[in-house]
Amino acid sequence: MIGKLVEAEFLKIKRKGFWFLTFLGPFGVIALQMVNYGVRKEYLLRQSDDDWGYFLLNVSSFTPLALVLGIVILTSFMTSIENETNAWKQLVALPVSKWSVYLSKFTVLAGLLLLSTVLLTIFTILYGTVLNLGHDIPYLEIIKYSFYPYLAALPVLALQLWIATVSHNQSIPITAGVLGVIFTYSAHILPDWMIWKWPSLMNDWNEPVINVFLGIGVGCLLYIIGMFDFIRRDVK
Amino acid sequence: MLSVLQSEWYKLRKSKITFILFVGPFVGLLIGLLFNLTIEGEINQWYILVLSMNLTYALLFLPLITGVLASTICRYEHQAGGWKQLLAMPVARGKIFLAKYVLLMLLVFVIQLLYLVSIYGVGMIKGYTDPFPIEIIWRGIIGGWVATFPLVALQLWMSILFKSFAAPLTVNVIFTLPAILAINSERFGPFYPWAQPFSMMYVGGNTDDLFFIPWEQLITVVGGSFVLFFLGGYFYFQRKAV
Amino acid sequence: MDHVVITKGLTKSFRQEKAVDCLDLKIKKGDIYGFLGPNGAGKTTTIRMLLGLMKPTSGTIEIFQKDLRAERISILKRVGSLVENPSYYPHLTAYENLEAVRKILGVSKSRIYEVLKIVRLTDVANKKVKGFSLGMKQRLGIATALLGEPELLILDEPTNGLDPSGIIEIRHLIKRLSTEFGITILISSHLLSEIDQIATTVGIVSKGKLIFQDSIEIMRQFAQKNIILKVNDGEKAWRSLLAKGIKSDYQDRQLLLLEHSNEKVADVVRILVEDGFSIYRVEEEKRSLEDIFLQMTAEEQAI
Repeated sequence: MIGKLVEAEFLKIKRKGFWFLTFLGPFGVIALQMVNYGVRKEYLLRQSDDDWGYFLLNVSSFTPLALVLGIVILTSFMTSIENETNAWKQLVALPVSKWSVYLSKFTVLAGLLLLSTVLLTIFTILYGTVLNLGHDIPYLEIIKYSFYPYLAALPVLALQLWIATVSHNQSIPITAGVLGVIFTYSAHILPDWMIWKWPSLMNDWNEPVINVFLGIGVGCLLYIIGMFDFIRRDVK
Repeated sequence: MLSVLQSEWYKLRKSKITFILFVGPFVGLLIGLLFNLTIEGEINQWYILVLSMNLTYALLFLPLITGVLASTICRYEHQAGGWKQLLAMPVARGKIFLAKYVLLMLLVFVIQLLYLVSIYGVGMIKGYTDPFPIEIIWRGIIGGWVATFPLVALQLWMSILFKSFAAPLTVNVIFTLPAILAINSERFGPFYPWAQPFSMMYVGGNTDDLFFIPWEQLITVVGGSFVLFFLGGYFYFQRKAV
Repeated sequence: MDHVVITKGLTKSFRQEKAVDCLDLKIKKGDIYGFLGPNGAGKTTTIRMLLGLMKPTSGTIEIFQKDLRAERISILKRVGSLVENPSYYPHLTAYENLEAVRKILGVSKSRIYEVLKIVRLTDVANKKVKGFSLGMKQRLGIATALLGEPELLILDEPTNGLDPSGIIEIRHLIKRLSTEFGITILISSHLLSEIDQIATTVGIVSKGKLIFQDSIEIMRQFAQKNIILKVNDGEKAWRSLLAKGIKSDYQDRQLLLLEHSNEKVADVVRILVEDGFSIYRVEEEKRSLEDIFLQMTAEEQAI
C-alpha cells in the first residue's frame, strides 16, 4: 500500500520544481563556498593547516541552515499540492488508510532530503578536489558532516509536516519555518533541548552523534504525534 | 486609494497577521536574552546588545518575514479566484498594487517598532544602567525599515506571480542567504540589496550621514533596486491575466 | 430488500450546532437517490461522513452491509466519489491526474482510457488540467470517481456552476451509468428540477433533518391540482355554488374548486351556466415539485 502511495506522490510532484530544489540546496551550500574561496582563497587557506578540515567547517556552517530551509520549503510545496484544490478529500476518500497517506508524504520528503544529502557529499568532495586541498580526502568526515545533520534534522521535518498538513492557512507553517530557520542560525546560543539546534551538531558534550540519536528518536516521536493528529482530524 | 487600503487591511485582519507580526519581537527577545556577550570597557551596553540581536534579526529574519507578509497579503486573491473579483472592481490595478505595497511597508514598520520595544525589554530585564541611545537606535530602526523597501517590492511581485507560499520563499531564501557572506566583504557588501537591512541597522557604522550607510549607497543600491523591483512588479501586475 | 447505504441516527455537531441531526438514510441497490436540500442543510457533511472524511458525532453508517468505521477501506474500494468542487492537480495532465489515483487503486492502465472515454475527455487527455473549463474539470472528477469501477457512486452537487448544456450532459452521463453499468448513485443537489428528471428515490434534508424519503412517484402525488374558474361575478358565483352544496374557495376574484374529478367539474360548470354566469376560463393549476419542495423546507423552517 505504502509503495503505491509513494509512487503516486512522486507522480504528483512532477513539474513542481521538487527535483530542482533537491539539487539547489546542496549546490547552493557549495556555491556559497565557491564565492567564499573564489574571493579569498589565500586568506582562508592560511587559517588552518588542515585545509580539508577547514573547508569542511566552512561548508558545514551552512548545511543546517540549508537543510532547515529545504524542509520548510519542500513541506510547504508538498502540502500545497493537496491544498490547492483541496485534493485531501479526494485522496482520503480513496481506499487507503490515513496513516499511510501521511507516511507516504513523509517518506517522499525524507527521500528527497536524503538525495540532497548524498549530493552534498558528492559536491563537497568535487569542489574540495577542484580547490586542490590535498590528496588525503577525509571521506568519513565528509559523509559524517553531510548525514549527521540530516538525521538530526528529522524532528524539524516531522514538526513542519505536521504543521503544514493541519493548517488551512499556509502562512502559519511558513512563519513557523522562518522562526525555525532563525533558531537554526542562532544554534550556538540555543539550549541543547531545542530541536533546531541539533542539525548544527553542537551540544554541551561535544559529541555530534548524540544529536543524531536525539534526531532519530524525537523525529519518530514528533512524526507519530503529527500522524495521529492528522488521522484524528476531519477532512474539510 | 484610502478605501482600497482599508479594504486590504480588512481582509488581512483575518489572516493571523498579528501572529506573524509578533514573531519579530519574540525572536528579538529570545536572541537578546540568550546572548551573553560581555565586553569590558567603555562601550555602551546597549550597543553590544543591539549588535548581537541585529546579527540574526536584520540579516535573516527581517528579509524572510517580509516575504511571508507579502504572501499573506495575496493569500485571499489566490484562493478561489479572488484576483478576478478584485480586479473586476472599478479600481485601477495600479492602485491595488500600491495599496498592497503601502500596507506591507506599514506592517514592516510595526515589526520594526515592536523590535525596538523588545530591545528595550531585554535591556530592562538584564538591568542595564547605561543611558538608552534612543537616537542611534531610532536611526537603525528607520534605516532598517527603509532598507526593506526594495525587498518588499520584489516579494510582492513574487507573491502575485506564484500561488503557493513556498515559491516566493524560495526566491527570498536564494537572495537572502548570500547576505551572510556579503556582509563580511567590504567589496560586495555595500552593493548587495539583501545585506542593506543589516548595514542600515549596524549601529557601529558610518555616523556622518543620517543613516548608518552613506547617502550614495542608499540612493544607488536601495533606491535603485527599489525602482527596479517595484516597477517590475507594478508592470507585471498591470499585465497579469486573471 | 437490498440496501446499499443505511445510516441510523447519523449526527454531526460542530461545537453546539447540529449540522446533521439524526439522519436515517436508506439507499436501495440500483437506485438513483436524489439527496435534496437547500444550501447549508447538511448534505455535504452527510456525504463527508459516508466517505469517512468526517467522523460522526453519533449514529452508524452501513455501506454494503458493512460498518463503515470497522471496514472503511474495503468499503471505499467499491465507492467512487466527487465531493463539492472537483479536486485535481492543476499542474498535471488529465491522464496524469487519473494515473495518480490509479496507482493507489491498483486497477489496470487501460481503465484510464475507458473512463476518459465515458466522460468524453479522450481528446484532452494530455493537456494540463489548469486550462480546463469548469465542466471539463467536473467530468474529470467523475472520471476519477469511476476509475475503481465502483458499485456506489457518490456525487455531491455535480452540476454546480455548470452551464445548461453542461448540466444536461452530466445528467445524461448519470442516467447512462445507472442503466448501462447498474451503478447505485447518490446525487445531491439544492435544485429539485435537477433531481426530478433522473432520481428514482428522493431524500429531502432541511436544517440537518431528513424531512422526506420515498420514491419520486410518492413525491409527485404531493403535486395536488387545483381547478380555477374565472367568472364574471366571482363572489356571487361562489354563493350560488354554496347554495347548491358545493364547496369552493373564493380568492382574488376567482373560484378554487377543492374537488377535481371530471364529473364534479362538469357539474359546477353546468350549474354556473344555468345560473347565468359567464365563464371566462376553467384552468388546472398544477403545483410543481419545486413548490412542494419549497413548501416542505419552509414548513420545517417555520417550526
